[in-house]
Amino acid sequence: MAAISLSKLNKHYGSLFHAVKDVDLEIADKEFVALVGPSGCGKSTTLRMIAGLEDITSGDIRIGDRLVNNLPPRDRDIAMVFQNYALYQHMSVYDNLAFGLRNKKTAEAEIKAAIDRAAGMLGLHELLQRKPKQLSGGQQQRVALGRCIVRNPQVFLFDEPLSNLDAKLRAQMRIEIKRLHAAIPTTSVFVTHDQVEAMTLGDRVVIMRDGRVQQIGTPLQVYGKPANKFVAGFIGAPAMNFIDVSVRSAAGVTAVEAEGLRLTVGPADASVLAAHSGRRVILGMRPEHLVLGDGAPGLGFDARVEVVEQLGSEILLETRVGGASVTAARVPAETAVARGDQVRLSAQSGRLHFFDPETELPISR
Amino acid sequence: MPIVTRPDFLPGLPKWSRKTLFALALLGICFAFAFPVLWLILTSLRPESGVYYVHRGTEFTLSSFAEVLSDERIVGAFLNSALISTLATVFSLLVTVSSGYMLSRFTGPAPRIWFGTIYVFRCVPYISWVLPLYFVTQSWGIYDTYTGLLLPHIAVHICFFSWLMKGFFDGIDPSMEYAAMIDGCTRWGAFIRVAVPSALPAISALAVLCWLFTWNEFLFALILTGNRVPMITVVMAQFVTEMGLRWNLMAATAVMALVPAFLIALFGQKYVIRGLRI
Repeated sequence: MAAISLSKLNKHYGSLFHAVKDVDLEIADKEFVALVGPSGCGKSTTLRMIAGLEDITSGDIRIGDRLVNNLPPRDRDIAMVFQNYALYQHMSVYDNLAFGLRNKKTAEAEIKAAIDRAAGMLGLHELLQRKPKQLSGGQQQRVALGRCIVRNPQVFLFDEPLSNLDAKLRAQMRIEIKRLHAAIPTTSVFVTHDQVEAMTLGDRVVIMRDGRVQQIGTPLQVYGKPANKFVAGFIGAPAMNFIDVSVRSAAGVTAVEAEGLRLTVGPADASVLAAHSGRRVILGMRPEHLVLGDGAPGLGFDARVEVVEQLGSEILLETRVGGASVTAARVPAETAVARGDQVRLSAQSGRLHFFDPETELPISR
Repeated sequence: MPIVTRPDFLPGLPKWSRKTLFALALLGICFAFAFPVLWLILTSLRPESGVYYVHRGTEFTLSSFAEVLSDERIVGAFLNSALISTLATVFSLLVTVSSGYMLSRFTGPAPRIWFGTIYVFRCVPYISWVLPLYFVTQSWGIYDTYTGLLLPHIAVHICFFSWLMKGFFDGIDPSMEYAAMIDGCTRWGAFIRVAVPSALPAISALAVLCWLFTWNEFLFALILTGNRVPMITVVMAQFVTEMGLRWNLMAATAVMALVPAFLIALFGQKYVIRGLRI
C-alpha cells in the first residue's frame, strides 16, 4: 500500500497546449480520491501521468516513498481500469486475469489461487473460459476490475470506467467498486466527468478546470463550501442557481436585490456582505434549498413556473424570477403545479452563497 | 436504433421475377469475369492446330501441360516465383507490421519523416522505379539474383502495405497496449504480445495480398532478371518465338500459374475480408 504525492505537476503538449498546470495533490494510503471536471480539464492526463503513460513536463510524482517520474508503467506497481475495458481480445478471461502475474513469473498455482479469489469476489467463475467479445459491457468491466485486483498492486487507477455503461449498470458498478474498496482497501484515483460518481465514491474529491485544481475536499466540503463559483455550479444536480444581485444595507437590515427578488439576509450573511454594501455580488442558491411557500420572513419571492419535470419522487421546477431563471427542486411529487403558475418560493437562511463577480471567489468571513 | 432496409431491386415486378432477374444479372457479371479464364482453360486443352478455332472441334489433349511440365526452365520459374513470393511476404511483413504500428501509434519527427518517405514513393508511378533499380542492381552485382529481385519487392511491399497496416492498427484500441504496459510489458512486449495478436486477421490479409502481388508481378521480373532467375510471369510471355505464338503452351502455363493464386485467394479470402474490415 502506498500514498501518492503529486507536486507542481505540469504537462505541455507542444508549445501551445498546457494541459495540466501546477497540480499539487497528496493522496493518503488507502484513500479513494475522485478527480472530476468537465472534458478537457486535464484530469485524465493527470491520471495517465501517475500511470506513466504520459511523460511529465515538470514536477514530481511519488508513489510510496519512490520518485516515479522516469519509471516505466510496469515498474510503478499500479493497476488501471480503462473506459473501454481494454481487455486482451485474443485471450480468455482467465488469461486476461493471469497476464500481469505471468509477467511477474508468478507460479501457476499461485496465479490460480489469486484468480479464484478475484473471480469469487466479482462473480466471474462462469466466465473464465470465455473471450472478452462474448461478454456484456458490465461483465467486461468486472473482468477489468478483476485484472487489477489479482495483481494486488499498490495503487488502483480508474479512467472513467463507468462511462460506457448504461445508467442502471453504472449505479450497480459504482456500488461494486465501493464494496471492492472496502474489502481491499487500496489507494485509488478515480477519474470521472460525472460529479455523482465523484461524490459517491470519493473519500475526497478533486475538482479540476482548464488543467488547474479548483478545490480538494470531502464531498461535504466541496458541496457545502465551494472554493469558487465554478465548483459551486459543477457540484450538485441540478446545478446551483446564480443570480446577479446588489447589496443594500439600511437601518441595520442587509438585503440583496434583483429584479423581482428581495431577500433579507441573516446576521451572519449580513456581516459577510457588510464590505460589499451598494455593490453587485452573485447570489448562489441550490435548488434543493428552495422550498415552496412562505418560509422564514424576508426570504420569500414570487416566481413563474416555466417547466415542470415530474420525477415521481419529486418535481423539478424551472421558474423565472424577473430576468434570471431559477430552478427549485425538492418540491414534493404530489404538488399541483402547472406551467405558467405563479408560485411562492423561499430561500433558507444560512444556505445562501455569495460570490465576487470579478474573482468568482466566495465572499466569506 | 436506425433500421436500414435494402432498396428493392426493380420494385414494380412480382417477387419471383425479381429474383430471377437478379440471379440472371449476377450470372451475367460472373460470366463476364470468368469468361477469359474459361477461354484460357479451353485453349490450354486444345491441340496446337486447334487454338485458332478453339470453339470448333472436339479434340482435347493434355499434351500442352505435359510439354510445359517437361521444360526445366518453366518448372524452375514456378519454383522461383513461389520462393520469391514467400520470402518477400515474410520479410516485408516483418517490416510492414512494425512500420504500420509506428505510423499509427507514435508522433514525432521519425514517424513523420518515414510517413513522408513512403508517401513520396507511393506518389511516383511504379514503372518509373524500374530503370533506376536496374542500374542499382547492376552496380551492386545483384542483377539476376534472388536478392536483386527480393529487395525491390520488399521495398514496394513496405511502401504500399505500411499504409494498410497503419489503417488496421488505427482501428485497434491502444488502451489494450497501455493495459499491457501497466501489467508488466515493455513497449515492445505490448506490441508483440497484445497488438500483433489482435491484428492477426489483418496481418493474414496482408500476407495474402503481398504473396499475390509478387506472384503476379511482371515488370520487376522482366527487367531485373535474366536467364538465371526466370519468373513465371516472364516465362509465360516468352512463348512468342520465331516459329509463331505458342498459344496452347502459354495457356497451359497460365492455367498452372493460376492454381496457387486461386488456392491462396480461396482460403485467404476469409482473412482478407475480415482483415480489411477492421
